[in-house]
Amino acid sequence: MGIYKIIILVFLTVLNADARPISYSGGTTIMYKSDTFNDSVYLHYSPTYKYSIGLERAKNKFYKNTENYFRFTYLVNRKNTFKSQRNLYFQSGVVPGGVENNFYGIHGDWETRKWYAGFGLKDINNKFSKDYKEEYIQLGFAPYVADYNNLHTWIMVKTKKNTVTNKSSTYPELKFFYGNTLVEFGYSAVTDWDLHFMYRF
Amino acid sequence: MKKLLLITLFSSSLIAAENDHSGMHGHSHEGHLHETMVDGKGLDVNPERFDMFVKELSNVNIAIVSVKGMVCDFCARGISKTFLKDKNVKKIDVDLDNGKVVIAFSKSKEITYSEIEKKILSNGQNMSDLQILEI
Repeated sequence: MGIYKIIILVFLTVLNADARPISYSGGTTIMYKSDTFNDSVYLHYSPTYKYSIGLERAKNKFYKNTENYFRFTYLVNRKNTFKSQRNLYFQSGVVPGGVENNFYGIHGDWETRKWYAGFGLKDINNKFSKDYKEEYIQLGFAPYVADYNNLHTWIMVKTKKNTVTNKSSTYPELKFFYGNTLVEFGYSAVTDWDLHFMYRF
Repeated sequence: MKKLLLITLFSSSLIAAENDHSGMHGHSHEGHLHETMVDGKGLDVNPERFDMFVKELSNVNIAIVSVKGMVCDFCARGISKTFLKDKNVKKIDVDLDNGKVVIAFSKSKEITYSEIEKKILSNGQNMSDLQILEI
């Protein structure tokens, strides 16, 4: 398989984390995510930097169902210093007309110009399938410190687990920022590919 | 006689200093701006980067904003977008390494601490200091 086919496959197949689930005030963000369980497209708008509202269409690969969620994310806590930023978010989603189908959870991160640490816990409830939980921890570093408007690269390690398979997997990831675009992908022999694409308007 | 000479020299230097620093103004000397302001504070920027920024700028007020929490390109991007919505903003530079945002405003624009602070906060970061220069 040629290198271009591999790159395209990587970009089309994988998925993952909730990097920056809230934008700046008035900002709109579109995300595409794909992982073991879900393929999803999520569009959100941030009236202020404290919260975002949005719509997500998520296809569950395991249970073979598709849901449209109305999503709400709230910045519970943020600590800014000259060298770091730490965040704690509450995230939730509910299917309009079917509130039994919902999810909620927390997502936290701490980041400097060189180091990153993040975690997430999510509880998914669905009346048509088994309820389950997902959790992950992510650690990373920047191999070089890039200036504004340049390509930023992160090398990461992620461990994730869910209560459906009860298997945990740890695998490497790469994350790139350039301008308004973020691309993140990783691969695990257990859970296959993760891909996360984000564009901020 | 020595005392008279010293007093004369001291007075001359005071007058010269007064003429050079009437307010928070930056004055170019051989292509470089002064790095000390009238209040005794240093101009808290990377000098080479700042000289590049002000090159070809004139008749502007420059705000040098110290920002907390500006640790990544992606999270700082909203700051540029927010300020560039203002037609009085002529140029902006984000220095992630030093946590600085440098903004050139047209001379007619009155720069206020509260307005800059509010715009930085709308992006989720905190302003810790503001210096203003006239060029």
